[in-house]
Amino acid sequence: MTLKEQIQNALYDVLDPELGINIMDLGLVYEIGIEDEQNVVITMTLTTPGCPMHDSITFGVQNRLRQIEGVQNVDVNIVWEPAWNPDKMSDRAKELLWDI
Amino acid sequence: MQSGIKTSTNIKIPLSFILFGLAAFVFAQWILFVESGELVSGQFRIPAVWMSAHLLILGFCVMIPMGAMYQLVPVAFLTPVWNQTFGFIQFFVTASGIAVFSLLLGFRTNIAVYGGALAVIGVLMFIFQMIKTLQKQKTKNVMSRFVCAALLCFLLTITAGFLLAWNLSYGGILKHDSILYSHITFGTAGWFTNLIFGFSYKLVPMFSLSHGFSMKWAKPSFLTYTAGLTVTIIAYWANRFPNLLTAGFLLLFLDFLFFVLDMKEILDKRMKKQLDEPFVFSLTAIANGFMIHILAALFVIFGYNSYEAWSWLIYLYITTWILFSILGYLYKIVPFLWWTHKYSDKIGKEKVPTLKDMMNIRLGVILYWLFIVSTVGIIISVSLQSGIMLMIFQGLFSLTSVIYVVSIIHVLIK
Repeated sequence: MTLKEQIQNALYDVLDPELGINIMDLGLVYEIGIEDEQNVVITMTLTTPGCPMHDSITFGVQNRLRQIEGVQNVDVNIVWEPAWNPDKMSDRAKELLWDI
Repeated sequence: MQSGIKTSTNIKIPLSFILFGLAAFVFAQWILFVESGELVSGQFRIPAVWMSAHLLILGFCVMIPMGAMYQLVPVAFLTPVWNQTFGFIQFFVTASGIAVFSLLLGFRTNIAVYGGALAVIGVLMFIFQMIKTLQKQKTKNVMSRFVCAALLCFLLTITAGFLLAWNLSYGGILKHDSILYSHITFGTAGWFTNLIFGFSYKLVPMFSLSHGFSMKWAKPSFLTYTAGLTVTIIAYWANRFPNLLTAGFLLLFLDFLFFVLDMKEILDKRMKKQLDEPFVFSLTAIANGFMIHILAALFVIFGYNSYEAWSWLIYLYITTWILFSILGYLYKIVPFLWWTHKYSDKIGKEKVPTLKDMMNIRLGVILYWLFIVSTVGIIISVSLQSGIMLMIFQGLFSLTSVIYVVSIIHVLIK
């Protein structure tokens, strides 16, 4: 498994504590960048600007990715453009939100 | 656009306000229970009721939003609190002022002005803190307008309140009733309603995960509310123009209608089907507030001036709109505060609870129903002039308040 695939899988473990759904299924992660095979840059958004979970989710991404062997630094860039919208969610996330 | 903002406030600041508010809430309800015999005959202007009302309104309904604002303003406005040390000092000054003022109103009304002065200083410090914080906000939005208007009304509320306390101590200021009505209107409709409106535009979409809504009524709502408040206050002072009061209340009703239309659209476009029960309780408070605005507009249109009826309408406004909104949102805010404090740096390292796991939602639902049942019971008791019934339902409300507070504190040991 490549490092990028490992990172993708690991990000499925990071949950939005308010919704209880992981950030990948929510469609919050825009880009996974890897520099020098050890420095990771995650470009992602949140469901709304001023989300109170801003710091917590950022910590969550950094903590989880640092557990992957070989990863040294993790930078999380929170961006608001393009803005998140429900179309970015996976079908699984939509089902969870609509059925729970 | 990239965000690099650090959004957290020291948890001790909002928690101090919230814990003080919860204690004041229980004391206020207990006093109302003890004084239920006076209430059934419509006697509101007695020292014990003043003490309870100010513990409830200043101690709970002011301190809780202050604490919540220390937490929410940085995240909602993307700007950190101006000075956190100043925030701690502001808490101690305001809490001391409110406690001393409420006690003096109950036991030494003639010197209540000294406690009032301390509370006023605390509120002024809070307004200063928020103005300095909001000044740093890069892009102003509809929330900023509502919150700024709320802060201005807050200032006018305490100015009018201080004049009332001065009159009780020294006398000499004419138009006591006009000052009293302005104080109540600025406090309830100006401060609380503007604040709840402003934060609802942030919290309702966030808790319902709503997207693609227009907020097209936000500006008309803000403008009609400002106009309605202004006209209503002028009407209190210009007795020669009775139609002004009707116009003022109609504008306030229209404003609430616009706000309700926006909230309905937000909820119609939500992605989360099953909303959390505490949040639903806050949403029902919006319906209560709307009903009360309709009743108030009808009262002034048909010239219904019963002192008791207006007193109970104000009671319902404070209880079922303001209080219920706060009681619902607290079940979301306190778990969030504690979760952030305890688990924020553990997420991703180990399994952590979700926010929903922090609260006993089933107990919350029972408590919300008990609040509704006891409030309805209180109104029926007064309508039937039954002292025993009032004591039972006020007792139920007080008991529910205690259990509610215990359930909130229970979160802090998780």
